Amino acid sequence: MRRRKRMMEELDQDIRDHIEVETQENIERGLSPEEARYAALSKFGNVTRVTEETRAVWSSIWVEQLLQDLSYGIRALWKNPGFASVIVLTLALGIGANTAIFSVVRAVVIAPLPFPEPDRLVIVWESRPQVKRLGASYPDFLDWQRNTRSFAQMAALTLHSYDLTNPGAPQHLDGMEISSSFFATLGVKPAMGHDFTSAQDLPHGTPAVIISHRLWRDRFASSPQAIGKSMLLDGAEYTVLGVLPPGFRFIADPDVYTPLAQGEPLLYSDRTIHAFISIARLKPGVSIGQAGAEMSAVEENLNHLYPVADGSLGTNVVPLKQEIVGDVGGTLLLLLGAVGVVLLIACANVANLLLARSAARTREFAIRSALGAGGGRIVRQLLTESVVLAMTGGILGLIVATLGVRLIFAEFAQRLPRSESIGMNLPVLLFALGISLAVGIVFGLAPALKSSRVDLQGSLKSGDRGSTRRHPRSQSTLVIIQMALTVVLLVGASLLLRTIGDLWKVNPGFNFQHVITFKVGLSPSLTKTASDTRIAYQQLLERIRRIPGVQAADFTNIIPLSEQDNGGPFWIGPQESTSMQDAPHALYFETGPEYLQTMGIPLLRGRFFTSADTSESEPVIVINSVLAHAYFHDQDPVGQAITVAHWRTARVIGVVGNVRHWGLGDPGTYNPSQIYISFYQLSDQWIPAFARDLSVAVRTPLDVATIMPAVKNVVYGTGKDQPVYSVRTMQQVVSESMSSQRLPMILLGVFAALALLLASIGIYGVISYSATQRVQEIGVRMALGAERRQIFQMVIGQGLRIAVVGVTIGAMAAQVLARLLSTFSQLLYGVGPSDPVTFVSVSLVLISVAVLACYIPARRASRVDPMIALRYE
Amino acid sequence: MSTKEQEKRIELLQGTLDLLILRTLLLGPAHGHAVAKAIEFNSDDVLQVEQGSLYPALHRLIKRGWISVQEGISENNRRAKFYRLTIKGRRQLAVETSKWERLAGAIARILRPEAQEGKS
Repeated sequence: MRRRKRMMEELDQDIRDHIEVETQENIERGLSPEEARYAALSKFGNVTRVTEETRAVWSSIWVEQLLQDLSYGIRALWKNPGFASVIVLTLALGIGANTAIFSVVRAVVIAPLPFPEPDRLVIVWESRPQVKRLGASYPDFLDWQRNTRSFAQMAALTLHSYDLTNPGAPQHLDGMEISSSFFATLGVKPAMGHDFTSAQDLPHGTPAVIISHRLWRDRFASSPQAIGKSMLLDGAEYTVLGVLPPGFRFIADPDVYTPLAQGEPLLYSDRTIHAFISIARLKPGVSIGQAGAEMSAVEENLNHLYPVADGSLGTNVVPLKQEIVGDVGGTLLLLLGAVGVVLLIACANVANLLLARSAARTREFAIRSALGAGGGRIVRQLLTESVVLAMTGGILGLIVATLGVRLIFAEFAQRLPRSESIGMNLPVLLFALGISLAVGIVFGLAPALKSSRVDLQGSLKSGDRGSTRRHPRSQSTLVIIQMALTVVLLVGASLLLRTIGDLWKVNPGFNFQHVITFKVGLSPSLTKTASDTRIAYQQLLERIRRIPGVQAADFTNIIPLSEQDNGGPFWIGPQESTSMQDAPHALYFETGPEYLQTMGIPLLRGRFFTSADTSESEPVIVINSVLAHAYFHDQDPVGQAITVAHWRTARVIGVVGNVRHWGLGDPGTYNPSQIYISFYQLSDQWIPAFARDLSVAVRTPLDVATIMPAVKNVVYGTGKDQPVYSVRTMQQVVSESMSSQRLPMILLGVFAALALLLASIGIYGVISYSATQRVQEIGVRMALGAERRQIFQMVIGQGLRIAVVGVTIGAMAAQVLARLLSTFSQLLYGVGPSDPVTFVSVSLVLISVAVLACYIPARRASRVDPMIALRYE
Repeated sequence: MSTKEQEKRIELLQGTLDLLILRTLLLGPAHGHAVAKAIEFNSDDVLQVEQGSLYPALHRLIKRGWISVQEGISENNRRAKFYRLTIKGRRQLAVETSKWERLAGAIARILRPEAQEGKS
């Protein structure tokens, strides 16, 4: 450092000597002293630049210059607050929206599963030719566990909910029934107490439960003494064996885990009941493909051993993360692309503003370079300025992102997997920082390079404005790109909007207005035997029906459009005429007699159940119109026999309308046949399994807040230990069933609105800039007799041309996006990807917005006073 | 000095300027102005440098340890700084010279391939 200082002091002396010697020589050659000095200086070159370059040899001078540039840049921007704030706000919106979506994408799609070596975790489905993701039956699972070598561990689980009645107030808890290897497979150990052991895989063990950290905190006050205490779940005593680490969750967020062998024997002992999800951890070095091949071989063996149950089943090994992320991943990536487009549009605005500003500063740069600033130095100065702008935008963008994430979370957390980890964290901050920096550099570079190639003498001579003729062209190009990108976003958003509009118009097959559904956990004391349970439900429903304002009420095991599944095989006629796997499948509704009336499903033939259809009377079923057409053609199905797997042969007593169970836009390929069975006719052994899942549906013109207190009164009247939960209107259920379109629609809509705003600012900026540049020309035109109207049209016309070109290009690009929406993610319903209404209306909207944006500059231009304009320079 | 004149000049590549300075100092220590004059003179004024650009190059060479500075008295009896070649600089000059000759040879072969063919 000292050496550097000394060298620099001597340098000045050196240069002075050098020039003096040269001057002296020139004088000797006969020049006048003044001429001699001038020639010497000119021969030496720019002294300031030489000093700077020499200093650069000795130091990390760039740090010095960076600080200089920074303070200069901030001062320059401070003096021009309008310009700076427009840019900063534009970038804040763009960067903020991107950061928000990225934080969602990171949490849902990118982040690894929160388990050790998550890439080795897989899910193993069974499959039928029509169904790729069939749950495993427990006997099949046990055979897999015994006969495969690819997996270090395998585990089975099924969702199961409990009514907790002690300790504390009665509460409905989500839970899981698991095989003892479940936590070990995931690589998770209880934070306290013990994991299950294989002893618990056998039936009739001591009932034990592992509980969530949250339940431990709420019910046991985080006491270490909780281990070994007992809990009353569904009326049975369970001993607390362990407490899980905080934050542990898997698929759902259950509070209690019990061994599946302590659950319902009907579920785990029958090879034809596919009630379990099977997860596994691959051995190190084993690929999914190898595991899949081994699973196929093992399953083929089972096909031969158990032809009736496993006849044509296959298997399907899928990475666990892929399974958990599901279809949302594609949608989110699509949205990330869309929001990236918004950023591009924002950047185009910024680049335009920077271009205009650098044109206005041409003289400043000419002076600076005349004073010895190198071209690189000016580029660096301008880059520093644009990076300062971008970073300020980025910091504000973080606020925008935080708000955005909060909104997305509030609206969609329920429908997004892994949403619990959405938020602002280090990777998200780095992302925001990274794009801010990139934006600052990329979009500052073009104007900066342009400014550094200033024609020195030209710009110093020519009055107050420099050579600006070249800029408008590149500015128009940027606006055309903005327009095109905006069209793409608008088309995407409106296609989804039209899809949702069309979906609401679809007749779901039932009347979702004025229906409320909820679940009731009947007291264990009322449901000791199957016949007790039947009576308890019957009495509960009778009391609910007597509540003033209730028009009809009954229960069902599955609610339409809520993604609940209850499929099973059936055979036409009195025999099981084929193997289970070859038999057709139907969706089974186990309901009470007033269900049809409650849901408003039309009865087409025959009758529905009555209270006279009991376990003592002849078994009867009701079928939907799809099953009737497919299997009875022109025959009258009423009076025919149908055999239901796991139950018995029943007589068809009625045909009802088809209910769109799988989604309003469902094409009807998966399980379109529907069969209704009276809950009161179910075999005794099935009653406990089905009773747990029953939802009550109530038809009433009253709203939830009015009717539910009365319902709760009625329920609590028969036992205080009976929670009422999952209260939803059918309107909500229908609305949620469209969430896969609603999420992208709302977000694309927001992005498109942003894009529209930015693009209109963009076109306004360019047109008014070019109108200002043309003031003289306009003055001449007017002096030569042009009318104000013609000037107005000329300026509007300029904007219109830009808009039309942009819209045309955008419409073509939008076709591509629309195809993506319709084929790749199957989000569209009812509208074609090239829906003319959408394209025409979007184009019109955009062109009118563009014309509106040009209105102000056009009016201003037409008011130009030719006398003043001509005197302008 | 107009822009066009400037364009006609052959701009010295940085490395070339270094080489020329080292070569000049091989003849003995010299001060800045003398180095500039010597380079101009020896290259028949074709390789004209803006004299100022000599100084960053000189300091670059000092930093690398190829030349050193010492106080001295110039021909017109003034105190001046003299630059002199170090041993390290002498070695570097040999390396740079052979590198340059190889490069020049290569360029000549590219520019006049027929002469080469004629020879072989």
